[in-house]
This record gives sequence, structure tokens and C-alpha cells, in this order.
Amino acid sequence: MILLLALAFSISAKDTPDDGGGSITVNVYNIPEGTARIELSRLEKGDTLFKEAGLISIFKGECEDVSVIDGVEYLYRGKAIAKDTFYIAEIKGFVTSSPQWFNKSRTTVLIFLILFGSVVLTYIQLAKKNPEGLFIRKLPALDAIDEAVGRSTEMGKPVLFVPGLEAITDAGTLASLTILEKVGKKVAEYGSRVIHPNFDPIVMTTAQETLKTAFAEAGRPDAFNKDDVFYLTYEQFGFAAGVDGIMLRERPGAIFLQGYFYAESLILAETGYSIGAIQIAGTNATTQLPFFVAACDYVLLGEEMFAASAYISREPRLLGSIKGSDLAKVVLLFMIGAGVIFGTIAGIAKQGGNPAYMQIFNKMLEFLARGAK
Amino acid sequence: MSISTSIWVWMAALLTLMVYSFLYKDNPFYRLAEHIFMGLSLGYTLTILWYNYIIPRVYEPLFLPPHQWSLIFPILLGMMTFGIFSKKYSWLIKYPLAFYVGGYAGLRIPLLLQSWIIRQVEASFLTPDKFTSLMSSINAILIFAGLFATLIYFYFSKKREHGFGAAAQVGIVFIMVAFGAAFGYTVMARISLLIGRMQFLLHDWLGIM
Amino acid sequence: MGFWQRFLQLDRKWIFIGIAIVVIIPLIKPLGLPIKPTKPVIDLFTYIDTLGPESDPVMVVTGFDPSTMPELMPMEQALLRHCLTKGIPVISFGGLYPAYIGMAKMAIDEVSADFPDKKYGEDYVFLGFIPGVSAVILSIGIDIATTFGNDYYGTPIDSLPMLRGVKNYSDISLVVDVSGSSTPEYWLMYAQERYGVNIGVACTAVSAPAFYAFLQSGQFVGMLGGLKGAAEYEELMARKGYPTGRRPATIGMDSQSLAHLLIILLIILGNAGYFIVRRGERRQGIIRRKK
Repeated sequence: MILLLALAFSISAKDTPDDGGGSITVNVYNIPEGTARIELSRLEKGDTLFKEAGLISIFKGECEDVSVIDGVEYLYRGKAIAKDTFYIAEIKGFVTSSPQWFNKSRTTVLIFLILFGSVVLTYIQLAKKNPEGLFIRKLPALDAIDEAVGRSTEMGKPVLFVPGLEAITDAGTLASLTILEKVGKKVAEYGSRVIHPNFDPIVMTTAQETLKTAFAEAGRPDAFNKDDVFYLTYEQFGFAAGVDGIMLRERPGAIFLQGYFYAESLILAETGYSIGAIQIAGTNATTQLPFFVAACDYVLLGEEMFAASAYISREPRLLGSIKGSDLAKVVLLFMIGAGVIFGTIAGIAKQGGNPAYMQIFNKMLEFLARGAK
Repeated sequence: MSISTSIWVWMAALLTLMVYSFLYKDNPFYRLAEHIFMGLSLGYTLTILWYNYIIPRVYEPLFLPPHQWSLIFPILLGMMTFGIFSKKYSWLIKYPLAFYVGGYAGLRIPLLLQSWIIRQVEASFLTPDKFTSLMSSINAILIFAGLFATLIYFYFSKKREHGFGAAAQVGIVFIMVAFGAAFGYTVMARISLLIGRMQFLLHDWLGIM
Repeated sequence: MGFWQRFLQLDRKWIFIGIAIVVIIPLIKPLGLPIKPTKPVIDLFTYIDTLGPESDPVMVVTGFDPSTMPELMPMEQALLRHCLTKGIPVISFGGLYPAYIGMAKMAIDEVSADFPDKKYGEDYVFLGFIPGVSAVILSIGIDIATTFGNDYYGTPIDSLPMLRGVKNYSDISLVVDVSGSSTPEYWLMYAQERYGVNIGVACTAVSAPAFYAFLQSGQFVGMLGGLKGAAEYEELMARKGYPTGRRPATIGMDSQSLAHLLIILLIILGNAGYFIVRRGERRQGIIRRKK
């Protein structure tokens, strides 16, 4: 008899944890054989009639009632309907829903955010105090910039700089403008010319200012020609066709493809390759990197572009971000290393008949994935 | 062989051929198809947005009972973005952008951290249960080594010397293999698109398949 | 000019013609090359195959426009066919961007026509486009009825029998995003991470490499990548004896394989030619210097 009672169809309800309120989770247990559906109804305290509250999934035995009001007390009843009969179960006592201030399942996210955020902010402060004190390794592509501009000048050919297809708000476009400044200075020093077609009008204006400053800093403000930085079109493949046309007509000796690119990346890089120019690409569009790697001489891969930009500008926010993310990588590597060592020990101990370590390890994994639930 | 008698199939087939004529060289037929496409896609998008957005989300809740007057605030905020078209009022865009950027970053960063970093770190732990078969063991070791070496490749705070340099070299090998795979997949995708169009021309239009 | 030099300067139009030939011939005269399903495809297939009429609905999200239709339409149709064959309730969602809704309508209309016994509103429903992208994904997690209001045909969600008791992700067994863009990442972040719903992905071959990381970590249930993934799914359906329709992906696989062979051949020849020509030029350079 006791066994029969224990196996009987039953129902429980509780406030849905870690939510913004307005939700009660209802679970059913020991669903009778042949149940076609389980109807859920609820009674509001003070009322006399149960009202329909939805259907409980037989598959999961769970349902979330999101039509409740916080603070109001409810009594739930489940009705499992089989072919010829039905079973009824009720929860013991009333339940209420309430919002939670803190979502415990996001504990790990909060820890990571505080950790990484404070590291980046600290590095930004350090960079503000002493930008030269923070070391960032020089990337080979940066040396290649001097070489490419130099060779292009020797050949009597201009330099082409394409800033990608994104707006000024994109991190890749901003990094490309820093690289443009370096290219601009070299071009001015060598007495060459830089052609800068644009997809976005705001990027165009900024590029004009950047180059103007670069030429002035190199002591050649008169050599800067504003008309070399011009607007082309806001149509993706129209822009690609326009840049291709410039490549074929002007035959630049060096081509810089720096910024965020889309499907036009290979079209541009391939045309550049066909005219024999030295090509230095850089993009934060990871999907386009394979095409640049295939067709260009040097490529700044994703984050390398930001590192290059930080190296050139020594701008505290950029430097701080790069140094912060470097430290984050070290932390992650150590975490993974520690996880591997502890996981292996736990696995060996489990095989030796001691499952305690594995239980601790699994709890750690659970905490990492779902916080302190 | 049964050639289609549907005018729409014919139109689609002719437009496909007009676009493919670009493979020979740029020509007026290609231009015509391109312009039809651009005009059509813009018109289509505007229509869909009008009937799925402006009418049910703005007009109906605001002008039909029960009027949801509170919607006026987000609508006004959204309309401030049009300030960009005027030099005098372009500063107005800062306010909706502030809401957008703040809200979006708040929403996105924790979820991004959870799904892109924490979950990936968790999945990278090499534990005995990942060594159940030879293939799974090789995969687990490759993933671990790839992750380790690639992170070192993108570490900028140290010169690439000795063991660190060697690890970064291994990292670039992994990166290049990934690029190769991505390039290969892209080739496959482009060929698939051609196959799809060919199936349309040969099956739906000409009926010879 | 030697053979290799001529080969390296080959007009690309010849490559286009070569590709067109190897694509067209197998379409007219199929070779019947075998198709071997891979783990990510088997995983998604098996997950859906274990569901039945009593399980929570599967939501099939259309995430593509005509530009990626050849790859993704066969996947969407195979997925819908699989669900309807097994009697699993299906929510077809017209997508997060306006251009997708036409594709969704085409898919559900064609597949449902092959299942005359399945009733709209009871066995499957069709939800239209709602603007907002990430906001829409998040909003479905709160309440489907408030998010959509009506289905594609204007019927209130509350009056569709199939959606009675389906309030949010907790009442959905799987969301499959058939996507030609990065939308699976949104579903991963805003639906899977936030609400814990299971996500499957059917994507173009271009996107597939990026999603392997999430497969490996178990964040995606399974994945169909490109036309090959679609063909593998069709193959698994056929092996189980389920109705598969015309199997457009399988038909295309012979062409795909031959085109790949041609491209591999061109890559090998191109690289060999490059090194041979370069070696020849170096030798000539050495001879000139000696003079």
C-alpha cells in the first residue's frame, strides 16, 4: 500500500528560481501509463473555482506558468487524462511567485566580468601614466609596411589603402585608421602618393583628417592631396568593382586592405595579386581571413590588427585592452591546465575506487556552466 | 523533356542567365538583372516592414483602442535617429544610440562570456572520459593543443623566443589548417549554389532532369 | 612560353566552363556516389527521431533568403518532412529578417502538400516575421503568444490548438535554425544560454567551420553543414524508410564531388606549375648572373 502511494501520480510547484518574477514552475511525477495529456489548473487564494492554467508536457513532466501575479497565492491541480479515465493530483499548500535580485546561475559570469574588467581598467590606468612602459611585441607586418611603401615609391607607383566596408564605429575601421596614419607618414617621407577610396562618407572625412595630420607630422603638409581620399559608393559589389578598376588603372605598387570586409575580400585581393602589388591585409572579419591569407603577402589576423594599432598609436585604451586580454588568456590557459590535471587525477582515482574527487570535479564543472544554482 | 509553361519560371530562368552572363564580361543584361534585383529587394523589404512592423506595432496599438500611449516614448526615441539627416539635429542620434548601445552591451556581454568563453573553457578540459576511443582521444588532444598554441600565438606581451616562439609556430599551423578548412567549405558552398541554380534550369525550367 | 607558364596564365573563363561541365553532366546522368552520414548530422537526426506526437513541438526557424536557398531549402524541407512523418508538432517560424519569410512559406507549403492528413493548427503552425532579431529570440522565452500575437495568416495564437500549453522555450523540445548567416550565434546566446532550450543548426558550408566549436562543447545538439549535410540528412531519412520527396541535395552531390575533384586537380596543377616556373626562372637568373 505504501509502495502504491509512493508511486502515485503527484504534483509539485515552486517559484521559478533566478527569474524576474511572474512565473511558477510546476512538476508532475509518476505520470500514469496511457496518459494522453495533463491539464493544469490553479486556484487563487480567496477564489472558489479552479481556472485553466495550461498543459504540462508529458515528455518533460514540467510546465512553467507565466501568467501568475507576484505575491498572489496559488494552489495547483494536475489532471492526467488517459483514454477511459483520469487521475488528479494537487500540491500541498499555496505557492507564490516573486522576482529575484540576483541570478545565481550567472555567478561565474559576474566573477569573470569583474576579473577581466578590472584588469583592463588597471592596464588602461598604467598606460595613461606610462605608455612606453607596457610592452607589446612588434608584428612582422608592421616592418612590411615600410618595405611595401618603399618599394612602391622606387617603382614610381602609388599606394592604395582600402579601409573596409564598415562604419567608423567598427573596431576594425578604427584600427585601420591608425595603420593609415603610419602608412601616410611613410608615404609622405618617401614623397609618394596614397589613394584612399571609401565606402562610408564618415570614414572618408576621418581618413582625410588622418592623412592630413600624417603628412604634416612628416613635414610634408603641402604633399597631401585631399582628392586622393574620395567616396566611391555605398553598394558592396559596386565598391568592389570600383576598387578593382582603380587597381587596374593606377597599378599601385602596394595595396593595404585594412578594416572589416565581407564577400568582396577575395575579389579585391585577387585583383591586387594579379597586378603584382605587395599586399598587406588586416581584418577582424575572421570569415574573410582565409582569402586574404591565400592572396596577400602579409596579413594581420584578427586581434593582431588591434595589437598593431596599439603598437603604433600607444593609445592607453587600446594598449590597456590588449594587455588586459593577454592576461585573460594566461588566466584561461591556467584554468584549462588546472582543470586537465585535476580532471585526470579525479578520473584515475575513480578508476581506483575513489569517486570523491570526480564528484568535486563535476561540481566544479557544474558551477562553471551554471553558477551557484 | 517538358519545358516549363509557367511565366514565373521563365522569368526566373532568364534572370539567372542574365546574371551568369557576367562570367563572360560586364554587359547591359547583367546590369538590368542587377538593378531589377536591387529595386525589388528594397521594395519587398519595405513592404514586409510596413505590414509587420509599422502597422501592427506602431499604428494599431497607438491609434486603435485600447490606445497604448506609453509607446510614444520609445517611438519618439527611435525617431531621433532621423536627426542624422540634418546637420543641425544630428546630435539627437546620441540619445537613442546611448540606450541601444547600453542595453545591447548589457544584454550581450554576459551571455557572450558564458557561451563563448566559459562553456568553451569547460569543454576544453581533457578528462579521462574523453579518451574512450582512439579517434576521440586524438580529437581531444588536437583540440587542446590547438587551443593552447593558438592562444599563445595571439599573446602580444612577450617576444617570440625559444619555447614560446615554437608554441606560437605550432599555433599558426593550427590557424592555417582552420583557414584551409574554412576556404574548402566556402568552395563547397559556392559550388552548391551553382548546383542549385543548375537544378532549377535543368529540372524546373527545361525539364530534362 | 612553356606549358606551365601558359597554364598559370589560363583565362579563368576556361575554369568556369570546366566547372559548368562537371556540374551539369552528373545532374543529367547521375553517378550514384555513396553518401556517408557524419556524426553532427546523425546527432541532429537521432535527436528529432526520438521525439514523437506527444513531445513538445520542434521550432524550425527559417534564416535564409534566395541567395543561399540551394543549400538550405533542402535542409529545411528534410527537417519539416522528418517532423511531420514522426507526427512531431512543428512550429515553422518565418525568421528574424524580412527576406526570409518567403522562403519559409515556400518550404512549409511544399512539404505540407505531401502530408494531406496533417492539419494546420493541430499538427503544424506557421509564425510570420517579427522585427527585432535578438529581442524576438528573448521575447519567445517569455511568451510566444505575446511575441507574435497572430500566426502568419492572422489567426490569434491562443486559438491554435497545437499551441495550447506552449508558452515559451520550456515547452519547445528543440529549435533548429536553418541559417545562411550568423543567426545561430544569436539563438545560442539568447535562447540556449538564457533559457536553456536545445538548439540544432542547419547552416551553409561557409558558416559550418565556425560552429564546430559549439558542437564540440555540446552547446548545439547537431549540425547540417552545406549541401553535403542536407544530403546526409536525406540519406538518413531514406534509410529509415521515411518519405523524402525529390531529394534535391542528394541529386546535387555527384556534381559537388566532381567539381571538388576538378578544383583539387587545379590546385595541385597550379601549385606544381608555380614551383616549376619559379625554379625555371631562378635557374635562368643564375645563368644570367654567371654571364
